[in-house]
Amino acid sequence: MWNRKIAIVDLSAKTVTAKPIPREIRKKYLGGRGLNMYLLYNHLQPNVDPLGPENLLLVGSGLLAGIPCLGSGRCDIAAKSPLTGAVGDSNIGGFFAPELRLAGYDHVAITGKADSPSYLLLKDGAIEIKDASHLWGKDTFDTQEALRRDEHDEKLVSLVIGVAGENLVRYANVRTGMKNAAGRTGMGCVMGSKNLKAIAARGTTPIEFADPDNLLRYCREMNEMITSTRWAKAQSRWGTMIIYSNTNTTGLIRTRNFQLNRLVDGEDLEPENIDRYSIGTSGCFGCAVHCRHRYVLKEGPYAPLYGEGPEYTSLGAFGTMLDCRKMETILVANHLVNKYGLDTLETGGLIAWAMELYEKGLINEESTDGLQLKWGNEDVVFDLIRKIAYREGFGDTLADGFKPAIAKVGTDSEYYAIHVKGMSNLHSDERPTPSFALGIATSTRGADHLRSRPAIDMYGLPENMLKEIYGGSVATDYSSYDGKSRMVWWQERLYAVTDALGVCKFQTVFCAVHAPKWREFSTLINLATGMTITEDELMRVGERIYTLERLFNLREGFSRQDDSLPDRYFTEPTPIGLPVAKGKKIDREKFDAMLTEYYDLHGWNLQGVPKSETLKDLNLSKEPSKLF
Amino acid sequence: MSEVRCLNCLKRFTVHSQVKEASCPHCKTKYRISWPTPNQAKVRGLA
Amino acid sequence: MQRILVVDPERCTGCRLCEAACSLFKEKKCAPEHARVQVTKWENQGIYIPIVCQQCETPICEVVCPMHAIKRDSNTNAIVIDENTCVGCRLCAQFCPIGGISIDENASRLIKCDLCSGDPVCVEFCQPEALKHIEPLKLGTMKKRTAAEKYSEYLRKTLDTH
Ligand SMILES: [Zn+2]
Repeated sequence: MWNRKIAIVDLSAKTVTAKPIPREIRKKYLGGRGLNMYLLYNHLQPNVDPLGPENLLLVGSGLLAGIPCLGSGRCDIAAKSPLTGAVGDSNIGGFFAPELRLAGYDHVAITGKADSPSYLLLKDGAIEIKDASHLWGKDTFDTQEALRRDEHDEKLVSLVIGVAGENLVRYANVRTGMKNAAGRTGMGCVMGSKNLKAIAARGTTPIEFADPDNLLRYCREMNEMITSTRWAKAQSRWGTMIIYSNTNTTGLIRTRNFQLNRLVDGEDLEPENIDRYSIGTSGCFGCAVHCRHRYVLKEGPYAPLYGEGPEYTSLGAFGTMLDCRKMETILVANHLVNKYGLDTLETGGLIAWAMELYEKGLINEESTDGLQLKWGNEDVVFDLIRKIAYREGFGDTLADGFKPAIAKVGTDSEYYAIHVKGMSNLHSDERPTPSFALGIATSTRGADHLRSRPAIDMYGLPENMLKEIYGGSVATDYSSYDGKSRMVWWQERLYAVTDALGVCKFQTVFCAVHAPKWREFSTLINLATGMTITEDELMRVGERIYTLERLFNLREGFSRQDDSLPDRYFTEPTPIGLPVAKGKKIDREKFDAMLTEYYDLHGWNLQGVPKSETLKDLNLSKEPSKLF
Repeated sequence: MSEVRCLNCLKRFTVHSQVKEASCPHCKTKYRISWPTPNQAKVRGLA
Repeated sequence: MQRILVVDPERCTGCRLCEAACSLFKEKKCAPEHARVQVTKWENQGIYIPIVCQQCETPICEVVCPMHAIKRDSNTNAIVIDENTCVGCRLCAQFCPIGGISIDENASRLIKCDLCSGDPVCVEFCQPEALKHIEPLKLGTMKKRTAAEKYSEYLRKTLDTH
């Protein structure tokens, strides 16, 4: 455990060095996102150009990568985001993280820029920067296949970018396998800016554990704990799409960008309909839930086509938000963004915005180079996805993300842009749920549900149960503002630790109450590494990671004003839905009060700046410290 | 037999095996039901 | 009654829990390359096939072993290698038609499933039940039921329409 290493690669100088990861850094930050945030904050100069060679690309396996439970194969990728200018950070499942560890490294820090297309090969301790000119222009699937062929190794696992990353689309993602993506904040764009097409890993160096026998036993318990929940059982059957059953029925889904909160006549997008195309499900490393489908399209202009997913996010990005009501549209669009290496949510969010602008007459066929951006026009959607990836015509306008696109199209268009800190939101409509709304506003990486979403808020759980989980009073009613700041604060810390351990958020308290959390994490850390970290200490690790991300954003010029929501959340009530969700909007004053409460729980002042006693308490006063 | 949670009033109610529709006895909202496993029901959509 | 380890690739989700659990139990590490069961994949087509020793009735490994180091364990029905007798000629690994025996990276050790003394760990971890440890007769019954279910669906539909 204590000899595990970080590789430091300078693509400009073509140098590679390796260093052990010190024990005290492990205890403070664990691994994955935690360690990446430590590295990012302490090793990146403030205010650098995210696309410049000085930006630091960090790839890190979670501390628990390789254990047989909870989807322990997750890898965290971080840099300064070219989309938002804030913390760039995205988590990816699949099989890369364990393979990286088997190759002898836990983390890779990449700086500089290669003078021609290159890929990085990490194999049993050795690291090589290799020529990738023959891979440039290839899609994400072919690139991985070509790497396996070129390296004569069918078990090689790669993180790759598609043409979107090569063309510096600011929300290009990093991909592995057919489906897994480090989707958000444009980490693929950073790879593209460094001329880095892929990072490939392969190894046979075993991952060692402190107490293997008890770890094995406990992992089995963990798998049983999660698979016995109702949520996991449904997810094993139909994937994350099952969320649609609840949210669309209730009226919690953005439709036609932000005009409606339910897709009327949206039956074809019900998860049950994936059975028509599915040949079975697929799981990431060490996952007993296996939440994605392997699907085949046998007919239509895009057939034959094999793809994986789609996620709930894609149902929204290419379905409800664009008013496309056919499952097949989703399957094709999902396949296209995966192939080009584009973030689903950003792509769908921007197209939805453009469609509303087109409807309102703020843009027309002249500005869209002939595209008729009408709701539900699937052919235009497919075309625009390609144009974004290749930066052609109107696609080039959308390829830079919301803030630059608004500047280009005109300030009138801003009202229709559903983003926070420059990042598009999920298609969820948070107006009826203040806890969700606060979470997307405070998220350090821009509008996003994966930083904090307390989905169990939707269940109307009894107050005593909520108190037991969250350690303080939280209202049962999801439309209430009471205690919801506490909920968000708690989940932010839990997910920060989850990403640092490299296990799957869906196998923690996300949508299931009786799922692993602090105690189980503490036990797993102890059995896997021998470190004793109590539940309380683990919460402080979460606080430390989140506070460091906050410090990073403050240094880059973000402030309380950026922890807000698009105006429409405050001005337009939800027009339809079940009585529980209809006629709801966010109350500005209550939202502000909730935000202040939230800062206070974190130990930050009214401006959202961490107080000196907070920094002292978290052992952050001495940052920045340096590892290399 | 299984239970589902009503999405409107958030109370749980019982549904009989393999039924395709059910109404919440508390708030009367009517749902279509599907079965991810033979013993577990979920809401599919509004009826 | 003796049980057999049965692989059902149609149920495999490719998660490799079997590899991680097997190597953790047998090697006390995460070492997928040393796992007795390994998943072969065609990633871009979504095809996953776990491969593990089938403890053959006429084990070729036993036949080719010049030292008679390979024998059946009567308790578990597993074919096991006696490490004290084995000279490491690796003929067993070379002749096995299904890759049931692996050679480690130093070519110094043979790695083979011994059914974990009768309760295979991989089976315990395989949530979708792509790996099962069952009585031999059950395999036929199971396969027949799967096939019959398809007919029964058809029959039910026909009856419904009448
Ligand atoms: Zn009800």
